[in-house]
Amino acid sequence: MAFCLLYKPVLQFCEIVVNEANFVRKCIGAESCQDDLWGKLVCTNFKVSFIAHNSLPRQCTHRLLGEHDIPLACVEQVVTVNDVKGKQKILGSNQKLKFNPTELILYCKDFRIIRFRFDEAGPESAKKVCLAIAHYSHPADPQLLFGFEYVGKAYNKIYMRVNGVDPGGGLQTPLFDCSSDWDREIKRTGASEWRVCTINQGYFISPSLPEFFVVPVSLADQDLKQYACCFYSQRIPLWCWNHSSGSALVRMSNISDPQQQRKVEQRISSAITKSHPLRSDVFKSDLDKNLPNIQDIQAALLKLRQICVIDSFEESEEKWLSSLESSRWMEYVRTFLRHAVEVVYMLESRHVSVILLEKEDRDLSCVISCLVQLMCDPHCRSLHSFQGLIQKEWVMAGHRFLDRCNHLKRNDKEESPVFLLFLDCVWQLWNQYPAAFEFTEVYLTVLGDSMWVPVFSTFLFNCPRQRAEHSRDFASSKSIHLGQDQALCFPPVWDWSQQFSLKDQTLFNNPLYVGKIATCVQNGTVKTFTHRRSKVSC
Amino acid sequence: MFFCVQVYKDPSKGELPLLPEEHVQDSAKDVTYICPFIGPVRGSLSVTNYRLFFRCTDREPVFGLDLPLGVLSRVEKIGAATSRGDVSYGLACKDMRNLRFVHKEPEDSLKKSVFEVLMKFAFPVSNNMSLFAFEYKQVFPENGWKVYDPLAEYKRQGLPNESWRISKVNDHYELCDSYPAALVVPVTITDEELRRVSSFRAKGRIPVLSWIHPESQAAVVRASQPMVGQNGRRCKEDEKLLQAIMDANAQSHKMFIFDARPSVNAAANKMKGGGYESEDAYQNAELVFLDIHNIHVMRESLRKLKEVVYPNIEDSHWLSNLESTHWLEHIKLILAGALRIADKVESGKTSVVVHCSDGWDRTPQLTSLALIMLDSHYRTIRGFQILLEKEWLSFGHRFQQRVGHGDKNHTDADRSPIFLQFIDCVWQMTRQFPAAFEFNEYFLITILDHLYSCLFGTFLCNSEQQRLKEEVPKHTVSLWSFVNSQLEEFVNPLYVGYPSHVLFPTVGIRHLQLWVTYYIRWNPRMRPQEPVHQRYKELLAKRAELQKRVEELQREAANRTASSSSERAGSPTRSITPVQTFV
Repeated sequence: MAFCLLYKPVLQFCEIVVNEANFVRKCIGAESCQDDLWGKLVCTNFKVSFIAHNSLPRQCTHRLLGEHDIPLACVEQVVTVNDVKGKQKILGSNQKLKFNPTELILYCKDFRIIRFRFDEAGPESAKKVCLAIAHYSHPADPQLLFGFEYVGKAYNKIYMRVNGVDPGGGLQTPLFDCSSDWDREIKRTGASEWRVCTINQGYFISPSLPEFFVVPVSLADQDLKQYACCFYSQRIPLWCWNHSSGSALVRMSNISDPQQQRKVEQRISSAITKSHPLRSDVFKSDLDKNLPNIQDIQAALLKLRQICVIDSFEESEEKWLSSLESSRWMEYVRTFLRHAVEVVYMLESRHVSVILLEKEDRDLSCVISCLVQLMCDPHCRSLHSFQGLIQKEWVMAGHRFLDRCNHLKRNDKEESPVFLLFLDCVWQLWNQYPAAFEFTEVYLTVLGDSMWVPVFSTFLFNCPRQRAEHSRDFASSKSIHLGQDQALCFPPVWDWSQQFSLKDQTLFNNPLYVGKIATCVQNGTVKTFTHRRSKVSC
Repeated sequence: MFFCVQVYKDPSKGELPLLPEEHVQDSAKDVTYICPFIGPVRGSLSVTNYRLFFRCTDREPVFGLDLPLGVLSRVEKIGAATSRGDVSYGLACKDMRNLRFVHKEPEDSLKKSVFEVLMKFAFPVSNNMSLFAFEYKQVFPENGWKVYDPLAEYKRQGLPNESWRISKVNDHYELCDSYPAALVVPVTITDEELRRVSSFRAKGRIPVLSWIHPESQAAVVRASQPMVGQNGRRCKEDEKLLQAIMDANAQSHKMFIFDARPSVNAAANKMKGGGYESEDAYQNAELVFLDIHNIHVMRESLRKLKEVVYPNIEDSHWLSNLESTHWLEHIKLILAGALRIADKVESGKTSVVVHCSDGWDRTPQLTSLALIMLDSHYRTIRGFQILLEKEWLSFGHRFQQRVGHGDKNHTDADRSPIFLQFIDCVWQMTRQFPAAFEFNEYFLITILDHLYSCLFGTFLCNSEQQRLKEEVPKHTVSLWSFVNSQLEEFVNPLYVGYPSHVLFPTVGIRHLQLWVTYYIRWNPRMRPQEPVHQRYKELLAKRAELQKRVEELQREAANRTASSSSERAGSPTRSITPVQTFV
């Protein structure tokens, strides 16, 4: 076998090795060490890699990661142990370690727990590689995330151009970063009383809104500019989607100025009413009041992880169902689905427009507005439209992916798996309607995992403006000539060829899918999802 | 299609569908069905010698109920008549639902109420009448009674061979009346020795071969418990038989005896003359207890499950309520036991003996599940039928007693959902291996529905001997006649075979699911929101079409290369690759 060739880490073209240790043992079995692998532990600026000494070359299907690789962004906690001295330390960045580690435990965001033993490794190199992993998994600045290096280098290499870092140009997924995508959506849903608004170009009005969004025709730019200051973070209400009855789904942040509240609310409501063909009322759905908050969701995930991977198997097996119940994760999934059903009922049966009201309009609204559209609109259940939906309601609407993923590990209070919860809700729908979605469970899983591969524009930023600013700063600091581009062209996660071959991507296709002509999920009667599902999600 | 029996014709449409020899016995108008999901529904009720049919026309959509009387386990009057003369009747069903009707008592006290007629026809055995299966005379293109031929099945397994013979010692069911006529035993054991062994095994159910591994020759052997008793009785022929079973497999010098029971129960059986194999007597055998509980525990668990799922589900405590029924835990233990058996045979190349107390409940659960894991033949539609015919029917699972066909004694302690548990385990495996089974979920549900319906003769009686005595194959129709005459309903479009794969399912609770589409199917809110049955058929048609196209193209390509073979050497004449549905 080509032993020496294999023994090197497979690097991306802009990836560099930071530190490595040899004769490391990767623990496989929990009880015995007979299946453990010997090899080299490598820390790069992108991933923690383990190159097994005598493993045969396996045809690895992932284009960015090998079988034993963990992207640094996926590392949640780095724990070093010295079992002789009985010491243990959780490592952050720039820290010192007073003992030589005999073991390194990596707790990963995707529920993996990976253990390396250093019994035969040199004590110094073991210590160094641990410190390097800890340091590099805590980047001090977003621009130290690997995505910047990855994309920045692309401007100097023809390779990437050929390989297609092409932000959506060749993709069929609408990114909603230009007014034409919004125009098409308005036309598709027949929302003739709504228009694309461009007052936020250059992000001069609101820092967290996209440059283009949709508002009622009856509201002039001048009015909007005036109202903007009353809203939290100047977030003018955003149109999401129109039901075929003409009812609109709108999302809005709280009005921060109490004196203006009534007046502004009234103006907005009447404008939305005017845009309704039946001049129907507007129903306000207060999400903060009815749904768990982001801390609740995070706490539920931590409990879920506890029973899934941390508690001993025998213990959790015995009380599996009741522990699952007490984690409240499933309960939250149900709450979100039920709330979405209520909104669907207002739109579909009561023919009224609905405003989703959330303090910042950047978390719970994303989940509910997507679910409502998935339930009502068969168009959204095709793969590309689903991706467009996420683009529209999450990425462009300014879901704080950077903070919620806690890529910088700076503020644990802001960390929350809102997007994962959404994927779980979709998975539940998928299970109830196995032929209604073009994509598969594999697709949903891979999409969830991609949050921890810090290369894609989709999950790296808190809002479009932040993306623009960081990429401009990065380009100027690295003297990258952007040319015609306004910003660095990060690939969106929707460019699946970055990660998988075309053959592997066929696993995203649901053989049972019957196409967009399928009946509306609601089909005239509102079906309630209030009943418990039997499946568990993890 | 003319032969298509409309057993489950949508009751909301059309008139009462009658089967051949089915006759209306009584009907009543103005009966109210108290539906737990949509409230009281008024309509008319008919009782035939096969079914109960309720129809309400004055609502949209039209509402109907159509159930075979065989599913009824109890019919009773609830409370006394009200001042208006209304009487309430409760119907408890074997298929996880209860029905309640309110009906005006006939003013003429001599006339029987429709429910009294119902009680008579629901429990024909208790009323000295015959089951409807003996009257039903539908003719199908295929005769399902011919599906299973024991000798052909043993031949498929390569039996008899130099180590195993087919004994005729039980030809007239004299050795054991609950065993089949054809038994596979080691060649070194004489029929006389088998007779001695039979007196040492409970109910004469001696260790005989169920399945043999085509390569290693490791065998799965089934039996009942040895009659060891408190004094530790031994039987030298039994010891010789087990030694012979081990010797028949050259790959291993050891064998495993899997006792399905918890060890405490096995020990307690010694008080009643039973017990388990001692280490002294069977020196090369290792005894393993599988901790599966008895029929009474299982019946109680299903009763609790019914309480939790019917009619209403308490959303907020669903998971912990489900846990408290222990149903999934029992499923897990059965699957785990079968997995250990399959693993010993496949990976350890060791022969195994499986028994419980009588060897007709937990034993067929374990052996048939292990066989499904080991042998892909049993994962096809016909193979699965053979498996049921063999491991369950011919080896005397007491269907009559466990289900209580036509018997009004609903508290009978011999009733137990053993076969249902087995089908549930199979369903769990189909979830974990969606492309490994030729049949779909509807096939399994159809089997369970006709387990109770008494329309077909398949699940009647307690043993092969009884079925022969009652001439069941002569007087009734086999369920497989019905199934095999419309196979397209039951085919899984994702099936790709895996001919030589052994399936090792994961048996942790976290991998098991409640079979909602069976246990909670009566709740309209739990029904599949979008039936995929039609879609399955479309996929099958698509696959057939593509398969045909591939063959056409290949023929075309072959012709072309034949005509121009001199031009290019490496032209595409590959063997036919089947179009595989992508999973």
